[in-house]
Amino acid sequence: MARPRTAFDVGIIDDHPVVIDGVRAWLAEEPRVRVRHTGETITDLRSGAADVLIVDLNLNGRLVLPDIGALAAAGQRIVVFSQFTDESLVMDVLDMGASGFVAKSEGQAHLLHAVRAAAADRPYVPPTTAGVLVSDRSPARPQLSPQERTSLLWWFQSMSKASVARRMGVSVHTVDMYIKRARVKYAQVGRAAPTKADMLARAIEDGLVTPGEVANSVRRTPPST
Amino acid sequence: MSTPPGELIAVRYTHVISVVVVVIVAIWHFGYDSMVLVRGWSRYEPAWAALAAWLVLSVVQVIGSTLLLRSALRGRVARALTLVALLAGVVAVATYPEGQAISDLSWAANTVGWFGVLLLLQRPLHELLALLSCTVAMTVIALGASGELDTPVSWALLITTSYTTAGIQLTFALLARQLHHAAELATRAAGAQADRLARQVAEETRHTERRRRYRYMRDRIAPLLRDLAEGRAHPGHEAVRRSSAIEAARLRRLFAETEDAAHPLLHELRACADVAERRDVNVTFVCYGELPDVPVAVRRWLTEGPLLALASAEVSARVTVVAAADEVTVSVAADAAAPGTLRTSGSTDTSVMFDEKENLLWLESRWRVPGPRSTSASSTITRW
Repeated sequence: MARPRTAFDVGIIDDHPVVIDGVRAWLAEEPRVRVRHTGETITDLRSGAADVLIVDLNLNGRLVLPDIGALAAAGQRIVVFSQFTDESLVMDVLDMGASGFVAKSEGQAHLLHAVRAAAADRPYVPPTTAGVLVSDRSPARPQLSPQERTSLLWWFQSMSKASVARRMGVSVHTVDMYIKRARVKYAQVGRAAPTKADMLARAIEDGLVTPGEVANSVRRTPPST
Repeated sequence: MSTPPGELIAVRYTHVISVVVVVIVAIWHFGYDSMVLVRGWSRYEPAWAALAAWLVLSVVQVIGSTLLLRSALRGRVARALTLVALLAGVVAVATYPEGQAISDLSWAANTVGWFGVLLLLQRPLHELLALLSCTVAMTVIALGASGELDTPVSWALLITTSYTTAGIQLTFALLARQLHHAAELATRAAGAQADRLARQVAEETRHTERRRRYRYMRDRIAPLLRDLAEGRAHPGHEAVRRSSAIEAARLRRLFAETEDAAHPLLHELRACADVAERRDVNVTFVCYGELPDVPVAVRRWLTEGPLLALASAEVSARVTVVAAADEVTVSVAADAAAPGTLRTSGSTDTSVMFDEKENLLWLESRWRVPGPRSTSASSTITRW
């Protein structure tokens, strides 16, 4: 899929019209975004309907994790926007290959960051996701450096990267880099998805990780079943 | 507590009785019976039948003893083995030569009686009585068959023999039952004593806990209320309101400690958050990870910092708990005034930061889960 450098198309899938309208209004602050598709179901959607799909996890009483997995496997970039923040759900969403997870309580700024990042195949970790990642105890979890763990934990606690930076004695940019590196490590484990590969490729391009680091971590990762 | 658990006493008594019976029967059968059999070998009619009866009884004895010592002798098996022993006894008595029912050659009636004691040790007494009657009847029939019952001497001999065989066996069985009963009584007494002790310990713990709470209220709450009542403290003053908020949260946590909750740490933190919410502070509460069991003393200091931070919060506060593999981290990030009154005494792994640029009071308490004690012990306030 061609990477949008300027304008990009967004689709919004939610079973509540008020949420669709609300998200549309939030997105209006980002001039590069064109809302091309809105709908209440995900079943009839094909990959490529938009550059980034914003999808509610629970549509008409059904958890749409499998549909999200199928779309991500076909290369569709997805940002899940949900009121359910259960840690296993968040982990599943990321494992399926979704670009990001934003809790509905986290609001406009985080959703905009996540959509912008997803359109460019870049990672964005809102505080809720940071909390889930730092408390992950699954045996297949990637090894995070102490700085990456601290950045995730403190970002989750304070919701202010500036405060985290001051507390760690580093720049905001460095904190952001630690958080992104942690997220990219998660793109290297679990099931394979083109969205994850795109995120890894972009991380290498951006100098966030080196090709060597990716190769090492892939060798360490147990084969997914 | 030095008294062994009651059940053990009863089990031990039963086992000792079983061992004694097994030893008696083994010595009697393999020692006395074998000797009698060998000495009168040529006189039994026929000798091979006497030997066969002895062998069958040996097998019954080995099986019965093994099962009894392993506490695996069930009712049906016990009755079946008894019946086999009785039949073998009948065969053995039938091999005695004429007029030798009570003599140097007779051995089986007494042996079958001891077998009954062994096999029917844990059965109702009437089963043993029936068997002992059978053994006496065996001798009576043998005497009758050889026409000896006509003489008073034979009767006297029969009564004497029955007293010294079946009589002793019955007495032994009765004593064994008495011992077992005594063991049961001891068991019950020991159980009751253990219960009493457990109750006493529980009551003492409860009493200590009550005293702790009472002491706390006397030392911390009473002076505050007295100052308010006597006009020394004014409810309008910021410091007084803050102290009141802190003490209210501590009281609420004190009550939460004794409540039954799935995750006491979260329950107590919610209690602290609850007090802040009543002051119209908007509190978000997020917990990730699987919480281990946190001892009450650790919970008290893990919640102390958050409690103070929540009491200082003005508009909003974010309480987070992260349970990672080796560490539990509790944090409060609140918009607050400078942390001048924030004392975090008692908490070793608590660090507080006040970020003036964002007006953010941010406190973090950590507890290392499996390690015997935390490595870093710091209580610091950093100002930026």
